[in-house]
Amino acid sequence: MIHLKRRKREGAGEFSTASMADITFLLLLFFLVSTVIDVDTGIGLTLPEYIPPEEQELAPLSKDRLAALLINENGDVLLNGEIIAIPQIQDNLIERIKSKIDLPKNKKLVVSIKTDRKTNYNLYIQALDEVKSAYFKVREEYALSHWGKKVKDLTDDQIKELREKIPIIISIAEPEQVK
Amino acid sequence: MKFQKKRAATKQGIPTSSMPDIIFMLLLFFMVATTLREQEVYVSFTLPEAKAIEKIENKRLISYIYVGKNGRIQIDDAIVQLKDIQDIMYKKRVALPNVIVSLRIDKNTNMGLVTDIQQALRKADARRINYSARMKE
Repeated sequence: MIHLKRRKREGAGEFSTASMADITFLLLLFFLVSTVIDVDTGIGLTLPEYIPPEEQELAPLSKDRLAALLINENGDVLLNGEIIAIPQIQDNLIERIKSKIDLPKNKKLVVSIKTDRKTNYNLYIQALDEVKSAYFKVREEYALSHWGKKVKDLTDDQIKELREKIPIIISIAEPEQVK
Repeated sequence: MKFQKKRAATKQGIPTSSMPDIIFMLLLFFMVATTLREQEVYVSFTLPEAKAIEKIENKRLISYIYVGKNGRIQIDDAIVQLKDIQDIMYKKRVALPNVIVSLRIDKNTNMGLVTDIQQALRKADARRINYSARMKE
């Protein structure tokens, strides 16, 4: 009787995984090249609501609440009527913000920034940056003296209190009509 | 007398069988971290620099307005006119109520143009904005 022998191939049912690494490398390279880990950074702000000029009401603001920053087209800066340089804005404001920490909500400092139409955008950002830095510094100091922690380590409740004590109120003045 | 060199019985060489796994892990990281650049920027600009800047946490909420050196304005994929901004942004605002508008404006732009854009945004009620700036060293 003839014995039928089943032919068996050796190594059947397997495929080589040696090239797997290469393929994955290729994919990896593609994603490496196409990745933009680009986090948008900048200075955040909320614009005031738009109210048509006819309906605008002038809310009186007492002088000692207001820090008016004026920047003209030549790059001169006026803070409450006095000429100062942009790097001085921070120190000037820090004192004023600090003196108002314990005052009620409607007596906090309001920083108003007004520019000419021909003012350089960069100058405006520098000034805004100074104002924000002043607020951040005061907040940092407050957090350190009250809770002994940095602002970024605070709990949610503490941050809420901090925001209540030192709110950042920046007002972008209504632009004047073109002359 | 001949000295016989002592050899360790184990095979030398690094096992490479786990290599694909490692690379897959890297791959996954990059796939997750990737945002494919979905729009081309037609205007050229240099961002201003600032110190007190924050990161925007939620990228999905951001909508960009580019203003180039020559004062051209780009939203999404097209150069637009100043007067169109209000309508475009209003539509965006309706589609995504808490949209953050990131203003990528060249640092030598006049404030007049910036103010005009801001007025348009206020009228469109897209009031959360962000002046895009780079970190100052």
